[in-house]
Amino acid sequence: MSQIALINLVKTFSVGSEKITAVKDVSLNVEKGDFLSIIGHSGSGKTTLISMIGGIIGPTSGTIMFNGTNIYSLDSDSLSGYRSNKIGFMFQFASLLPILTAKENLLLPLIFTSGKPSGPSNEQKAVELLKMVGLGDKINTYPSQLSGGQQRRVAIARAFMNDPEVILADEPTGDLDEETEADMMQFFKTMNEEKGITFIMVTHNTDLARQTKRQLKMTLGSIKEL
Amino acid sequence: MSNEFTLFTLAVKNLKRKPLRTGVLIIAIGLLVSALVFALSFTRRIDSSIKITSDRLGADLLIVPTGSRGAAEDVLLENKVKSFYMDKNILERVKQIKGIDAVTYQTYLVTMSGLCCDVPETMIIAFNQDTDFVIKPWLSKKLNRKLQKSEAIVGSESALNIGLGLTDVDSVLFGNVFKMVGVLDKTGTGFDTAVFIDENNIDDIIQKGKSVIKPDQISVILAKVKKGLDPYKVAGDIEDSIVEVDAVARKDIGKNIINTLRDINQIFFITVIVAAILSVFLTWTVFSAVANERAREIGIMRAIGAKESHVVTLFFLEVIVISSIGSIFGIAGGTTLYVLLAKSFTIMKNISTGLSGLERVSIALIGLFVGIGICIAGALMPIRRLKKMEPLLAIKEE
Repeated sequence: MSQIALINLVKTFSVGSEKITAVKDVSLNVEKGDFLSIIGHSGSGKTTLISMIGGIIGPTSGTIMFNGTNIYSLDSDSLSGYRSNKIGFMFQFASLLPILTAKENLLLPLIFTSGKPSGPSNEQKAVELLKMVGLGDKINTYPSQLSGGQQRRVAIARAFMNDPEVILADEPTGDLDEETEADMMQFFKTMNEEKGITFIMVTHNTDLARQTKRQLKMTLGSIKEL
Repeated sequence: MSNEFTLFTLAVKNLKRKPLRTGVLIIAIGLLVSALVFALSFTRRIDSSIKITSDRLGADLLIVPTGSRGAAEDVLLENKVKSFYMDKNILERVKQIKGIDAVTYQTYLVTMSGLCCDVPETMIIAFNQDTDFVIKPWLSKKLNRKLQKSEAIVGSESALNIGLGLTDVDSVLFGNVFKMVGVLDKTGTGFDTAVFIDENNIDDIIQKGKSVIKPDQISVILAKVKKGLDPYKVAGDIEDSIVEVDAVARKDIGKNIINTLRDINQIFFITVIVAAILSVFLTWTVFSAVANERAREIGIMRAIGAKESHVVTLFFLEVIVISSIGSIFGIAGGTTLYVLLAKSFTIMKNISTGLSGLERVSIALIGLFVGIGICIAGALMPIRRLKKMEPLLAIKEE
């Protein structure tokens, strides 16, 4: 059984009277420990696809199975539990809460996981992750005091806080310089190999895509393996 | 930052990001609760005072000369100094009415400083110690014996007591020397400002000619009704049989004052209702703006695992923090206003009963619940809208 199975997935948006199909009949199997990259032009449906896999927007039709369970058959709380416990999200935009420090942004998902206050071990974990993305000296810094690239790295670190089984990364290195981008890619590969975390990464960067185990291309909502 | 990072921490940080807006909402809730606490304290104090007076009167019926009901209520409820008289033989006629179990009577005299007496203007109540069932319980607690001729005992807030600051001294009342032998405990009625003497002193007072009272005159008759009988019916029977008197059932004492106050109460409560509607509207406006501003953040929080209940809890915590702070300020403000302005209202000035601790706590709790409730009502719709949004749509809302 595949870790993730997409079966005839379709997503249509209504814009006024017009209907736009962002994802057309996509079927795909992802095994545990896979590292997929999805490339494609803007508007090809990449973000919509990983958003559906991440459980943050439902498909118009089709099914997404995660470890044999149709995630959109779950009720709202269970779907939140899926996002919280199984998935780590990296958005293509600044996604930090401006009122929280870097460390607090990392601790935020834990509030939703257990509902319990953060203990010292969680704080230690947050600090370790920030060090791993090269921000050990920015622990108590607010997003407004960080550069775009630094904010992006905080968001990357946050995605690992809940020990997810799958990382969904939407242009995760978009704001990073080449050197940092390479460091982050190495960090992803290490997490993939050592912890067996599955990665599905959307990118425009074909060099980056080439470093992944599987490459897929989306064109006008359809997907094919390269 | 403390080690505890919770939804509450997040809620407080959210409130701090727009301190002016948070402050305006707190002030609005504070003003509303102030008005409510003031209005409740005002009306509750009057209601309590009237109820305490009627309960402590110990009589089922108050019988006064026709047309003197208002004056009698002024004496009992508002500590006003007034005198009115009827013939003592009415007492015997009241006793003959079917259903009357016991009767006693009181005679009210008013001192005039410098003219008759060496004390400030005070109500002097002469009563019959053999038939009395109104003053005796208070008297026995303090004196444990009958008042003798030329002895007086003063109410807890009597001008005489306050004026002298001590008892066991002699005072001239209506040309007669009286020895002040004690101070009664607080009754919470008009009796607190009066001075009590035995009715045997009346003849001496009349002889000295320093009072307007004539022989065989009394001011009020207090009656107990036989068990199981309706005091209203007996009161009606008295008025039908004796045209010279008005009979008031205990529960009706103060009814005139309550009726007079009804308009004031309505103005108070209409003001509070209008303020409440404005507060709901203001809260709705503020939280609609907050929901729009934070849609993307909420979308991100949902995407990283927040349940709908987390979103609702976060906003409710913000609402509760704002409304609790506002309500606490409001309770303090309303209470201060009540204390400062109470003396501006004639009726409050003359009422001796203050609010009890329990009443104060109850009013504060009502203020708190109304403050929080109004804030929740105003914030409910924006919060419901936000929690129902799909995370990705919320993220793209901006």
